[in-house]
Amino acid sequence: MSQVNIPNVKIAVIDDDLLARDFIVTVLMYCVNRDVLSFDSGLAAWQYIKDHGSLDIIISGIDVPGLSGFKLLSKFKKKYPEKKCILMSADPAHEPSARDSGADAFLAKPVSVNDLFKVVETFVV
Amino acid sequence: MSSEDIFSSRLKLLIIMAKAFLKDCPIGKYRKQAIIENSHFVFYQSLKLSSEIGPIKNDDSRTQPGRASTGELYEEYFFYQRTQLLAVMAKALAEGRLKGKARRKALQDNLDRICETLTFNFHIKDVNFLKVA
Repeated sequence: MSQVNIPNVKIAVIDDDLLARDFIVTVLMYCVNRDVLSFDSGLAAWQYIKDHGSLDIIISGIDVPGLSGFKLLSKFKKKYPEKKCILMSADPAHEPSARDSGADAFLAKPVSVNDLFKVVETFVV
Repeated sequence: MSSEDIFSSRLKLLIIMAKAFLKDCPIGKYRKQAIIENSHFVFYQSLKLSSEIGPIKNDDSRTQPGRASTGELYEEYFFYQRTQLLAVMAKALAEGRLKGKARRKALQDNLDRICETLTFNFHIKDVNFLKVA
């Protein structure tokens, strides 16, 4: 994972699992001291990106409704190649394909506080 | 008193401490020390309890009568992740590092979720401790 520093970072979390999504939002909001957007489908996130412009980092589940994590990653990277996209899945077999598709990192679900601190350390701080 | 009871009591104390901070109660030298010590205990105990849950898979081996279902284990896992996060937040507030509107909101959200779980999932009847802060 490449080290970058993003001031006033804009992050979105996309997952239909409310328990995991809210937890990730709380951790990230605390770490970056900014509001963090959340969406329950890939389509809603993509619609937001189209309407409001880019986000610095998107963290998406692979099996999300509307637009899968892979499809969202492909569209997002095509439009904003310099921005970061992190994919998450409970299936570790998805890791190689996530990396091959251009994901900047892969998180195994269920995510832990430490995983998220590492994400912030790598991509934000 | 079992280690579970001690964890529960220390977690309640940490909740009160964090709620007091959100209500702008002053933090003196002794309170600061107590918060830091309590945070360490809650953090490591949460880490231990969370690791005891083990990998959560969608098999039916744990869903037999008398055993927690995968959904319950999943909820429990996030509960301990949230208590770990609370310990990190509490240590930061004691050291004067918890500054900013979004961080306070994150602390409030985390406290709300933990209290919700304590009240409804762990069936803790005595929630009067929440009124202390």
